[in-house]
Amino acid sequence: MIKFLRKILDTNAHRFENNGVLKKLYPLYEATDTILFSTDEVTKSGPHIRDSIDIKRVMILVVIALIPLYIFGAMNVGVQNGIAMGVERTNWEQFWFGFDKIIPIILVAFITGAFWEILFAVVRKHPISEGFLVTCALIPLVMPASIPLWQVSVATTFGIVIGKEIFGGVGMNIFNPALVARAFLFFTYPGRISGDKVWVLGADGYSGATALAVPAAEVSQQAVPLLNGISQFDYSWWNLFIGWIPGSIGETSKLLIIIGAIFLAITKIANWRIMVGSIIGLSVTAYLTNLMAPFSSNTMLSLPAHYHLVMGGFLFGMAFMATEPVTGCHTNQGRWVFGILFGVLTVIVRSINPAYPEGTMLAILLLNAFAPLIDWFVIQSNIKRRMIRYAQ
Amino acid sequence: MADLNIKKGHNIRISGVPLNEVQKGTKPKTVAIQPIDFRTLRPKVVVKEGDSVKIGSPLLHCKMHTNVFWPSPGAGTVSSIQFGPRRAIEKIIIELSETEESECNDSYPSSEIPTLGKEQILSSLLKGNMIPFIRQRPFNRVINPSDTPRDIFISGWNTAPLSVNLDVALRRRLPQFQAGINILKQLTSGAVHLSINENTVSDTLLEINGAEIHTINGPHPAGNVGIQIHHIAPLKLNDLVWTVNAQDVARIGSFFLTGRYDPTLFVTVGGPGVKVPTHIKTRAGVQLESILSDNLNKGKQRIISGDVLTGKTADNNGYLGFYDSTVSVIPEGGEREFMGMIRPGSSSTRYSLTHSFIGFGKKLFSFNTLQNGSERYMIPINAWEDVLPMDILPNALYRAILVEDIEEMEQLGILECEEEDFALCSFACPSKIDVGETIRHGLELMEKDG
Repeated sequence: MIKFLRKILDTNAHRFENNGVLKKLYPLYEATDTILFSTDEVTKSGPHIRDSIDIKRVMILVVIALIPLYIFGAMNVGVQNGIAMGVERTNWEQFWFGFDKIIPIILVAFITGAFWEILFAVVRKHPISEGFLVTCALIPLVMPASIPLWQVSVATTFGIVIGKEIFGGVGMNIFNPALVARAFLFFTYPGRISGDKVWVLGADGYSGATALAVPAAEVSQQAVPLLNGISQFDYSWWNLFIGWIPGSIGETSKLLIIIGAIFLAITKIANWRIMVGSIIGLSVTAYLTNLMAPFSSNTMLSLPAHYHLVMGGFLFGMAFMATEPVTGCHTNQGRWVFGILFGVLTVIVRSINPAYPEGTMLAILLLNAFAPLIDWFVIQSNIKRRMIRYAQ
Repeated sequence: MADLNIKKGHNIRISGVPLNEVQKGTKPKTVAIQPIDFRTLRPKVVVKEGDSVKIGSPLLHCKMHTNVFWPSPGAGTVSSIQFGPRRAIEKIIIELSETEESECNDSYPSSEIPTLGKEQILSSLLKGNMIPFIRQRPFNRVINPSDTPRDIFISGWNTAPLSVNLDVALRRRLPQFQAGINILKQLTSGAVHLSINENTVSDTLLEINGAEIHTINGPHPAGNVGIQIHHIAPLKLNDLVWTVNAQDVARIGSFFLTGRYDPTLFVTVGGPGVKVPTHIKTRAGVQLESILSDNLNKGKQRIISGDVLTGKTADNNGYLGFYDSTVSVIPEGGEREFMGMIRPGSSSTRYSLTHSFIGFGKKLFSFNTLQNGSERYMIPINAWEDVLPMDILPNALYRAILVEDIEEMEQLGILECEEEDFALCSFACPSKIDVGETIRHGLELMEKDG
């Protein structure tokens, strides 16, 4: 079977090469060929030997880290629907219910993404970049299960084309394409991606506020007792951590996200400095807002750090989006600053301005814009250090 | 006297590590000098095909410094002068005669050497055609003898994969090495810095006088002289330092003691492509066939003059590079793995600094020339930073070179950089970018700019 595949690829290679009929589609052939079989390119000059890691592997590992979130997400869609409709199901039935709902979203995201990536690769004659796999894998995870498919397609298009390709493709982009896609929907079609009615697949008009929306909607109360008082969903800390709560498909299970984050940190694909920095930033800022809480009617200010950590998309954004190497800072000191500011901004957007209860997306996009500036300061300090040495 | 522990870097666990015993190589039929080994050299050949030469006779000189000649590594007749693309001189090949004669120069007793004085030494070095063994930083090119270097650096400790163990190569050569140090010491206004490792046992290195000895530990590239300069006494603007390979220090010493150019060179033959990896006592510019002979494994092999990170591809009929003392052989190409991108991988088939494959073996790894991926745009996952033990931001420097911003390159410290120190970055890069080549390009821009 494998030999047969190899033979098909080899015998058809000439059609796509220099003078073949299909030479315009060479990037497509090359991508298929190298996805199925590792490349046989050899080094041309020193270093004559190379590490086994390549961008394909980097990207696929991120996708692998996301797979448990898909499975949990499907299950959770079923569970939340069961709560909303008041039906009893077995675990399998819950999984299949959710699976049935999220597979079309995934397919639409991947097909749209692949279309644009291939189109740009063919027109601009560059190899198909594996980065779109991660973008397309992230997009469904940051959408509610109730999202209309055409919106997924439009958002993916916007994310890939405006978020990435117009800058020159993977490695050149300024903003995280998956977040650009989400922000696009958030500001153009807010009705289907914010508010209380979209997070649970229930009967028409069924309303279920996410954990973050609960304290944001109330005035002059204590956030934790308020959350514990909700009877519609279990908003205890432990359940927020495990993730059987309404929310975007992939963001609810903090446990699996943390496992994925550790996996990416160990494989050195995501930088641990950003993750640790953001948790520090979030905790310190949340503590400061807690101190401010008695002097304000804003209930969000009283939300303690360990609740901030397990609510909304913070951990998801931290593990898979803030750590995106291209759009984040490129220096280690810069990564610390980036991470800490990410944590700080998340709490500020969430608490100080409760109109946007989810601060993660905006915090990351804002920092993406500032990452080159942060790096600039680090580079200047390096230059300054050298100039002082030169002057001695 | 510095005692440095360098943390960043990586010792590649490549198989075929040379044994610490020395075999005597068979006498080669031909030796050669390859002008392409010297950066920025515009060679003018002073011999013709058919001329007879002695060991140490001048073969060519540089059009820039007409008094600096390159010595012949053997005695016999010039059998051919080979040209490459655009009529660049590639090789000057000398067919060795049965008995070889050397050019004779003045010799000095070892007691007289420390008092010779700079003028005398330089005129001897120029007359004996020994100048090309000394290189300068920045730019890593052959020195201009009229310069006075701030310091001279010698690395007494190799860390490059499969490189010569200097404990072995310098065994029982203390008098020559000491003479070499005494000579070099008079050429600089500063000090001669010699770095060793805590595991160095050779008397030649440990009992040396007149040099500042530094103990440096850590993974490759800690043994590279560029890294050592950076940590011991970094280059400042307009600074000039000289560097000499440890074996060439002994060669210079021996030249003053005997008046003759001694072409002896200890080289290693190693890598997954050889049957018996070992040290061989042979000579400079040797034809590789004579040291590889039947030692190659079956199958297509790539023969590299130099180490696997920075060497040049040669073939079996090729010759050892002027500054090289390593011959590495690795299998050419490899299997295409089905669904290689999602296979867990094992430590026998995958080697990575990123822990992205299962398998944390400490076993030696049989590398081949597969690039293991295609070139992509830079995805900065710290692969470069983790293996570069310098206070340099490789990422920012790389970008400055791409846009050819001379001023920023200089500010980011390109003059302290050298291609070989970035070879590990290219090795580890997931985007398969050749960082060293870009650094080279940047340095060339700086050179042109003056």
